Amino acid sequence: MKVGVYFCNCGSNISERIDAQKIASELSGEIAWMEAVDFACSEEGQESLVRHLAEHRPDRVVVAACSPREHEATFQRVLERAGMNPWLLQMVNIREQVAWVTPDPELATRKAARWIRGASARVRRHEPLETREVEASGNVLIIGAGPAGLKAALLLAEAGRKVVLVEKTPVLGGMPVRYEDLFPNMECGPCMLEPVLGEVMHGPHASNLEILTLAEVTEVTGYYGNFTAKIRQAPRHVDVEKCIGCGECIAPCPASSPNEFNYGLDERKAMSLAFAGALPNAPFLDEAACVRWKGEDCQACLDACPVEDTVLFHCGVKHLKRNAGAIIVAIGSALYSCAEFSALGHRAIPGVYTSLEFERLLASNGPTAGELRAPGGGPPSRVAIIHCVGSLDEKHRPYCSGVCCQYAFKFNHLVRKKLPEAAIVHFYKELCVPGKEEFALYEHARQTAGATFVRYTSLADLRVVTEDDSKAVIYRDAAGAEARISADVIVLCPAVVGPADAAQLGATLDISPDRFGFFEELHSRLDSAQSKMKGIYLAGACQAPMDIQKSINQGLAAAGYVLSGLVEGKRLRIDPITASVDEPRCSGCRTCGAVCPYKAIGFLPDSRRATVNALLCQGCGTCVAACPAGAIQGAHFANAQIYAEMEALLQ
Amino acid sequence: MTPSTASEPFEPKIAGFLCNWCSYAGADKAGASQTPYPPNLHVIRVMCSGRVDPQFLLQAFRLGADGVLVLACHAGDCHYKEGNYRATQRHRMLRRMLAQFGIEEQRCRFDYVSAAEGEKFVRLVTEMVETVRALGPLSLRGFESLPAA
Repeated sequence: MKVGVYFCNCGSNISERIDAQKIASELSGEIAWMEAVDFACSEEGQESLVRHLAEHRPDRVVVAACSPREHEATFQRVLERAGMNPWLLQMVNIREQVAWVTPDPELATRKAARWIRGASARVRRHEPLETREVEASGNVLIIGAGPAGLKAALLLAEAGRKVVLVEKTPVLGGMPVRYEDLFPNMECGPCMLEPVLGEVMHGPHASNLEILTLAEVTEVTGYYGNFTAKIRQAPRHVDVEKCIGCGECIAPCPASSPNEFNYGLDERKAMSLAFAGALPNAPFLDEAACVRWKGEDCQACLDACPVEDTVLFHCGVKHLKRNAGAIIVAIGSALYSCAEFSALGHRAIPGVYTSLEFERLLASNGPTAGELRAPGGGPPSRVAIIHCVGSLDEKHRPYCSGVCCQYAFKFNHLVRKKLPEAAIVHFYKELCVPGKEEFALYEHARQTAGATFVRYTSLADLRVVTEDDSKAVIYRDAAGAEARISADVIVLCPAVVGPADAAQLGATLDISPDRFGFFEELHSRLDSAQSKMKGIYLAGACQAPMDIQKSINQGLAAAGYVLSGLVEGKRLRIDPITASVDEPRCSGCRTCGAVCPYKAIGFLPDSRRATVNALLCQGCGTCVAACPAGAIQGAHFANAQIYAEMEALLQ
Repeated sequence: MTPSTASEPFEPKIAGFLCNWCSYAGADKAGASQTPYPPNLHVIRVMCSGRVDPQFLLQAFRLGADGVLVLACHAGDCHYKEGNYRATQRHRMLRRMLAQFGIEEQRCRFDYVSAAEGEKFVRLVTEMVETVRALGPLSLRGFESLPAA
């Protein structure tokens, strides 16, 4: 076998420490030639290598030069240009790891000779590898129609991609459409999202979008480029296409149940809209509340509807199947349960609300049409806002949820606007208002007459007690003495936690929630919009607590990954450095599957053998080292190659 | 086993398994800052420390290494998410086994070097070479006749 070695002088960086001549004569029996080049990576250097290779046609090539991290790809291309398979190359790092760190030329030359001998032994065992390609779908499945999912969907649809947008509730827009105003600029929540929703539902690219409300993804098979999702869609019993949104069907409905969109603070009809202005502008019929599903012969809604065939009683659950190359998960977050803090009295003492409940009480389309009332009925004279409920707390959630201070100062502003006389008390552990616009509401709160700030050390020192017909927050003052401030309305700002569905959807998609219940990102800084499963992306607060701006940015980032990774008409390239199973040697123990960080190893049930999905495999080789039967080979890092290198290096 | 004679002092041979993304880059960093270290380390680059089969280490000793150094990414930094944890587990297991072959624990070292830790890399290599130099050449007490894997 003819092994050609190219020795890069790197100007004098290498040659002043390492004697190429000496090595050439020492290795003369083992290699076909050793050619010294001044700057192998330069245009002329590469050209001279291409010419030399094409003329002398070695079987294998060693380039002794700088770090392979620097120029391995360069010299692989040189081999390709000379008509060779690029994987028949081995680089030796005689610059960074020999010449530059070994001042004595004698020792440096000896070390370099040994390393080149190692590379020569290794490269003889290299095999030509091929980059394979597979067909991939450019369609995208997006789960969750909040700001992150919507903006991702719109961007992809505008780029001509077919998007299936799956939303669990009957309404689009996620959380912000339930907020009257948004921090930091007091923008109206529904108004901000309505143009986006308009584009999604009726814009020039709406034909690229399939919107499925009341729908859930129940099963996903396949992998990056070729996922197949099963979707279960519950019946709305109202034809969204035909419905004109007049709402005539709602008033005559005789049945009602607690309104989940207002967190049970009021009731809604069995036939209802989530709230006034909810989109799509069509009511939904809740079978669990409807008397028809309890055996009564009611059709009040149908009788009231002015459009024929719009209220539909006889439609069942739909089971749909959709193909997609990528999946974007944007299912949002949840609030930490206030049941953890019984001393704060949520659900036990009237007038104690979570921040989400309070948002709805402030909203003009909420249960009180935006009017704030104390439990007795009159306007509250004192509102207490307790920050950091569960956040920054080792016993609960050690992190800062990042959004609570800002909405608390928004509440401050809205309460002051609605109740000019009311006192407002902020109980806080820490304050956190980063960002170029966010300080304004904080400044405003600080300067609000009648607003006070009380810092507490531990939430355990706080409790809410009833006194006469009002309530008080008991706390510990700066001197450590127990103190009390009375309040009619108390708002708790609970920690933001992972979505309730994280575990279930995580199991369906094979993406794992982290210890806080958020979906785990591939890399917390570099790739926070990617899950650990290739082709499944994360957007918005299901990855970490975040505000609307960050959520939308992450949605757009996820869409960017899809647009660059799955290019219309282009096949997916599979990097040849992957693992493969030697089936006859495989005992089916599944050790490999357990150690694979990419879930790239499947199991063939018939033959009871492991199989590697080359598209998902990243080539780390952990399974190769783990296989007790030696049945898995790692391409380009095979045992035989590594042993050959070791043997020559250590002789 | 390097022959040690009066005329030629013992120079240990250390096999170093370095992961491509952190520790190999850390070694390159040491090079870029031109910090000298003993030339006794012979580097075998792998993509991930998780690829380092414990048998590689046994083979290295059998093939003539007086010491073996496995360097991985720091906890949480693995390019492949968790290969370094696998490597840590395997190393702990291997060290227990090595005693049965009569190989001193200090001849087999596992550590973490990030892409920025050129200085730490130099320190580890220097320490390793000094430690093994003090231990003297490896004697396998007959195990060297074992067949290759």
